[in-house]
Amino acid sequence: MTVRALQQISTGRNGVGAFILQCKKMNFHYCDWAGSSRGMNGFIKSLLPKFAAAHPQIEFTVSPRPAKHPVIVAQYINGREKAICVRNMEPYEILKKAELLRDASGEKLKRTTKPVTSINESVRGIWSPYHGDGLRV
Amino acid sequence: MSRTLLRSVLELRSPVMRLLLPSIRPTATTAAPAVTVPAAAAARFFNQTAQHIEPSQPDPSIVANSKSPLASSPSPSSLQQTQPQPSETQQQQQQQSQPLANTPPKPISESVRALLPVLAAQPGRYITVHIHGHPYLVTEGDSVRLPFKMPGVVPGDILRLTRASILGSRDFTLKGAPYIDERLFECRAVVTGTESEPLRIKIKKKRRCRRTKHVKSKHRYTMLRISELRIRTEAVNEA
Repeated sequence: MTVRALQQISTGRNGVGAFILQCKKMNFHYCDWAGSSRGMNGFIKSLLPKFAAAHPQIEFTVSPRPAKHPVIVAQYINGREKAICVRNMEPYEILKKAELLRDASGEKLKRTTKPVTSINESVRGIWSPYHGDGLRV
Repeated sequence: MSRTLLRSVLELRSPVMRLLLPSIRPTATTAAPAVTVPAAAAARFFNQTAQHIEPSQPDPSIVANSKSPLASSPSPSSLQQTQPQPSETQQQQQQQSQPLANTPPKPISESVRALLPVLAAQPGRYITVHIHGHPYLVTEGDSVRLPFKMPGVVPGDILRLTRASILGSRDFTLKGAPYIDERLFECRAVVTGTESEPLRIKIKKKRRCRRTKHVKSKHRYTMLRISELRIRTEAVNEA
């Protein structure tokens, strides 16, 4: 058996102790000319300053992308990124999308059936028929 | 905490909210029967359209069912029933919502007094918290995916879960009838975000008809992380 180094000492559990928002950066792309960017331009003018001020932990960048549809790209701590095309949307719809990206964890979407996920050991141990009161045969 | 409170004071728009303010705990919300929206919830929304925010007090009928001493105990147990709390905010809430329930808190029974410190002395604990009537058996550090998107919360919010039915360690279990006393434990959860499921597509097809209908659904779920689970052994001495 080969000797292997410890992979990791502990597993990160966000929220136990400190909470860190998983979204670290959001890029807003717009076009000055195209009509599909009209809502995005309004959003950048009216709502984005307030939204950015409310989230000091996220880095916000706004950059033009001429002759393309407007896009929000969010980058996450785990290295992944999510992009949403917001063409022809109203400013408040775009705000909803931005909040969606902020709330996301960056993980790939998975279907789960169990509500609770735990890495703790079972508190009460595994049931055994031979302990406790015993099994009458 | 005070900042949140201040922000909520500044953002108040209606006198109704001002009346409700003392009863809202700034960073913590009760979990059941209705999860109250945190105080700054109104301030969180950037759009100024009317939000559906539930009143901070639970429905009086539900309160009457769960909290009044007459209706609460279906079976007299040696453990405790949910009772009005000794804390100030809770008392104010009680006064506002229903004057009848302004009775002094029920004393903690002898068996709980004797055995709760023993339970607390054991290393591992678990608790079955109820959120909107659904039980979740959790330990500290667990992640819970609620089956709904909780309105008015943002990632980082801390919820205090006050409704629980079972609190246990390896050898001891405290069972409520139906819920255990809120004074005996402190359970807090951090909202870690909103998860989503992959898009579900259900194909609807009728016989002898070429048309197929694709029904799409994609639900969103609020994720919680149990950040704190503490047994308040000092409550035994207080009461």
